[in-house]
Amino acid sequence: MNTMSTPSTDTRRLFDVHRGEAAPRIAPDRSVPPAATLKKWLRDMMLIREFEVRCMQAYQDKKIGGFCHVYIGQEAVAVGCVAAMKHEDPLVTAYRDHGHALARGMSARACMAEMFGRVDGCAKGKGGSMHMFDKPNNMFGGHGIVGAQTPLGLGLAFATKYEDEVMRGGKNTRVTLCFLGDGALNQGALHEAMNLAGLMNIPVVFVVENNGYSMGTSIHRGTTMAHDLKSKAIGYGIDAAVVEGMDVLETYHGMKAVIDDARARSRPWFIDLRCYRYKGHSMSDPRKYRTRDEEEAWEAGDPIGTLESFMLEKGMITADESKEMLKGVKAEVRDCVAFADASPVPADGELYTDVYMEPWGPYPGSSKPSMMGGGENTPSFRAIERSEDLL
Amino acid sequence: MPISVTMPRLSDTMEAGTIVRWNVKEGDEVTSGQVVADIETDKATMEMPVFDDGRIARLLVPAGQSVKVGTQIAVIAEEGESLESASKGGGSAAPVAAKPVAATPSAPAASAASSHAASASRDEESVTVGGQRVRVSPVARRMAEEHGIPLGSLQGSGPGGRIIKRDVLTAMENTASRPSAPVVAAPAANAQSLAVPVAPASRPSGGLVIAGLESERVAVSGMRQTIARRLVESKTTIPHYQVSMKFDLDRLMAVREQLNTELASTGIKLSVNDFIVRGCALAMARHPYVNSSWAGDAIAMHKQVNVGVAVALDESKGGGLVVAVIRDADRKSLRAISAESKAMGEKARTRGLAPEDMADSTFTVSNLGMFGVEHFTAIINPPNSAILACGAAIKQPVVRNDELTVGYEMTATLSSDHRVIDGAMAARWLKELKGLLENPATLLV
Amino acid sequence: MSALREIEYRDALREAMAEEMRRDKRVFLLGEEVAEYNGAYKVSKGMLEEFGASRIIDTPISESGFAGMAIGAAMQGLRPIVEFMSWSFSLVAADPILNNAPKMLYMSGGQFGCPIVFRGNDGAGGQLGSTHSWCVEGMYSNVPGLKMAIPSTPDDAKGLLKTAIRDDDPVFFLESERMLGMKGHVPEGDEILVPFGKARTRREGTDCTIATWGRPVHFALEAAEALAKDGISCEVIDMRTIRPLDVGSVVRSVKKTSTCVVVDQSWSFGSPGSELASQVHRHCFDDLDNYVHRVHTADVPAPYAFNLEQEYLPNARKICEAVRAATYNA
Repeated sequence: MNTMSTPSTDTRRLFDVHRGEAAPRIAPDRSVPPAATLKKWLRDMMLIREFEVRCMQAYQDKKIGGFCHVYIGQEAVAVGCVAAMKHEDPLVTAYRDHGHALARGMSARACMAEMFGRVDGCAKGKGGSMHMFDKPNNMFGGHGIVGAQTPLGLGLAFATKYEDEVMRGGKNTRVTLCFLGDGALNQGALHEAMNLAGLMNIPVVFVVENNGYSMGTSIHRGTTMAHDLKSKAIGYGIDAAVVEGMDVLETYHGMKAVIDDARARSRPWFIDLRCYRYKGHSMSDPRKYRTRDEEEAWEAGDPIGTLESFMLEKGMITADESKEMLKGVKAEVRDCVAFADASPVPADGELYTDVYMEPWGPYPGSSKPSMMGGGENTPSFRAIERSEDLL
Repeated sequence: MPISVTMPRLSDTMEAGTIVRWNVKEGDEVTSGQVVADIETDKATMEMPVFDDGRIARLLVPAGQSVKVGTQIAVIAEEGESLESASKGGGSAAPVAAKPVAATPSAPAASAASSHAASASRDEESVTVGGQRVRVSPVARRMAEEHGIPLGSLQGSGPGGRIIKRDVLTAMENTASRPSAPVVAAPAANAQSLAVPVAPASRPSGGLVIAGLESERVAVSGMRQTIARRLVESKTTIPHYQVSMKFDLDRLMAVREQLNTELASTGIKLSVNDFIVRGCALAMARHPYVNSSWAGDAIAMHKQVNVGVAVALDESKGGGLVVAVIRDADRKSLRAISAESKAMGEKARTRGLAPEDMADSTFTVSNLGMFGVEHFTAIINPPNSAILACGAAIKQPVVRNDELTVGYEMTATLSSDHRVIDGAMAARWLKELKGLLENPATLLV
Repeated sequence: MSALREIEYRDALREAMAEEMRRDKRVFLLGEEVAEYNGAYKVSKGMLEEFGASRIIDTPISESGFAGMAIGAAMQGLRPIVEFMSWSFSLVAADPILNNAPKMLYMSGGQFGCPIVFRGNDGAGGQLGSTHSWCVEGMYSNVPGLKMAIPSTPDDAKGLLKTAIRDDDPVFFLESERMLGMKGHVPEGDEILVPFGKARTRREGTDCTIATWGRPVHFALEAAEALAKDGISCEVIDMRTIRPLDVGSVVRSVKKTSTCVVVDQSWSFGSPGSELASQVHRHCFDDLDNYVHRVHTADVPAPYAFNLEQEYLPNARKICEAVRAATYNA
């Protein structure tokens, strides 16, 4: 078995689809979006990369604690997929989630402040690197347990469909993108979710960011049929496609075709999205399980460089503009690091908030017992320190 | 009120005892001191007397069975009490069956704690009484405090003697129904201090609270408890008898005066008692039974002669009595005995003696001569078999060589354990001592 | 006037769900056999007919999948009711129900709540053996962020379930197979809700407080009846919810009785019973006449044999023994 991960030789030919008998054929519309759109994508990818570089630095400076999984190398996946979604489409992902959050529109300041565990973070410093949530941008996290987000993604899609069809009596209008790594292919939760999705016609797209490694284990060592992951979905009656993940244009085109189909037919999809993570699984990973040659082969097809070359070639951007753009991105990330550093740590009382929406109600006839302790806005069952409070 | 009989602790290492035989049966009349059972301890089979008069209401533990020290083994109905009610009342598993009594007039508040004083701080009260940890449930503790009931006055009916709410409630009821009983801890400001006969021994006999007498209740020190316990045990378990003899101390007094004059510059001042200690120690050589201990099925003949000297402590400091031990007194000179005796007495009155200063006596001398006492008897200091009580060397008319003259005479009384020392043996030993004391030169060599 | 209406515990559960589904279209029911089979225990009988297959949803035997799906739906704003045929089966869904539902609000800094109800049979049924007899309250009540209700009578079953469905937080609703057929008066009316965190005194007494919840409430009442004949007066407090736990009611009672027996059908180690006992010791320290006695399920896996299962579970006899010991009447 070939355990070496290799980039595809012709990325434009990668859109390989398996469809159920009754489904209409689909083909990506490969028309090139306007320059302004591509510039935004380029900048978004630059931003993600610069952001992750600074995260690594801050991690080494002990500004960031816990685990930190960076997205460098996979920028085209988040940017291309999000570009193919509508704003109202829910997105949920695993723990390597900074890229998705930024692509979805989360403020880089809030994202970095969360990394720093500060009160201006998207979750007030309570979530951390692996748990990026952004309700206004329909970003449903950031989930730390491998595969756990797949039933959630299914449920988000179930809910949007339920809202459209049962509550409003209309037709399904939304699609949920549920990202997972190739490591999650081996978790039971995904398979239960795929079975239910196929069974119940749920408009969810399971996007496997197939970077070839689950932590330090090559996909060939951990997953059957690694050469043809579509086969995983076929068994559940789910349409499946291989999509290029190192070329944002191709990612966008492929995903656009898939998402549009899922929306129109209210059906699930399964995507084997080929990409590569340049860095280790987490900050402590020395990457001994793969060769430098392999890494260089993938880095040669770097998604940022690929888009930049394409745009330069097509005259959609100048070299100076590109340089200026990068400069701006660096300044922005510098700013958000400074912002995060200056942001206060959460107040001690914050420990006890957001545990319950309303610990004691509201229920008819119920008064708020004083056993809560703390202040009025302390939604948690606190340990009762004063016995008198119970009387 | 039924009286509980518990498995006694008959040796220092005894934790449980087996009832070899009951000498009584339910319904039998018993009197204080009567041996009702034979108890096999870890060391010997011993007789077990009772300490109360009455009738056996129940025998709770059959012969042949082993139970822990403190376990109730029988119930005695007091005079006028029916066997039935006694066996009910005293039948609880509590080690001491006497029911919680807050100074109920006629009842033996069978507890060391019954005399517990108001002067003790509440904190101490809740945790320990007389150095013994009191088990008490939190609510019982709180209620007792709120109602001014000393925990020491309560007998716990819970597991392990834990004082529980019910015990406090009972005490409160008793208080309410006997308003005149001197229950409450706090003494009236002008209360006279009366010598209330309180016997603080937790076992075997209880204290007594006398109705109608106004009395101040004085806290019992640990030492007082020990004295009480040991002496009650001694007086009630050892068959004492006394033999007295007069001693002509003319020569001894002369020698003493002479020596003290000579030794004045060295700071040494020999007391009469130093001579007596030396004499007693030397007398043991030919009468080893006086220097021995009853060991149940044997007599332990001690190879050392360690003479204990009773030292009274200053009453202003709580009083009490300790026994300082002069080790190997038969091998020590008068001068050494004197120095040691003086040092020990000093230490006892100031810093207090260390346990090793008081351990391992084989015989004891108690001397009240300095108070002018002529004659008294002493209680044996267990595990000794004898104690010598010495009166004062009094200058008085005496007959010497058939002539009436003036001389020094002392009366000493030997209390002996009849299990070890028979009357003639005691007499012979006294005669030996007499020979030594009346020929003091023998004491100098 | 007609006699008080009496219905079964299972009917009370159904009434609660049906009323809330009529009231709020966001509410739906999913689980194994809930629709076409009319419910494995007939709790959802007839609901498919009224609400249709889009709201009464049969799932395959796939607890991790459908529990997680319901949580996702709740994050989006729906209010799912997830029926576990048995809470024993929820163990395969432990990650979604413990790692996602109760933590979502916190992890997202207050952005995403999880208004969901998980409900099903808890505790030993009848000789179901080790794997099917779980009392999950011991394990699950350890997790902050969830609420837990455990009704012991039909009226509470209905009132607490309605409250659970309207609650904005995840609620673990523990029923009992052995009580589904129990009949009791349940008042009619859509707005009769039982608040969480309010214990119910099932019997008043002066000598000993028995605090319990769920099925053992009935054992405690049986024990109290027996003890009353011996002159021991027990106060039986039905906690009704474990999170929130109405410690105050128990404390007030224990301050009166001075003794307390906690009866809990879960295992003793690290259980709601140990928590309550600890809190009573904490708050009634100077009021206790004895340590808090506890009656639990035996600390062994559930046995199959009838007699062993009887000995395994809390029962009136064990409660009587505990009360006697606690009140020094042993």
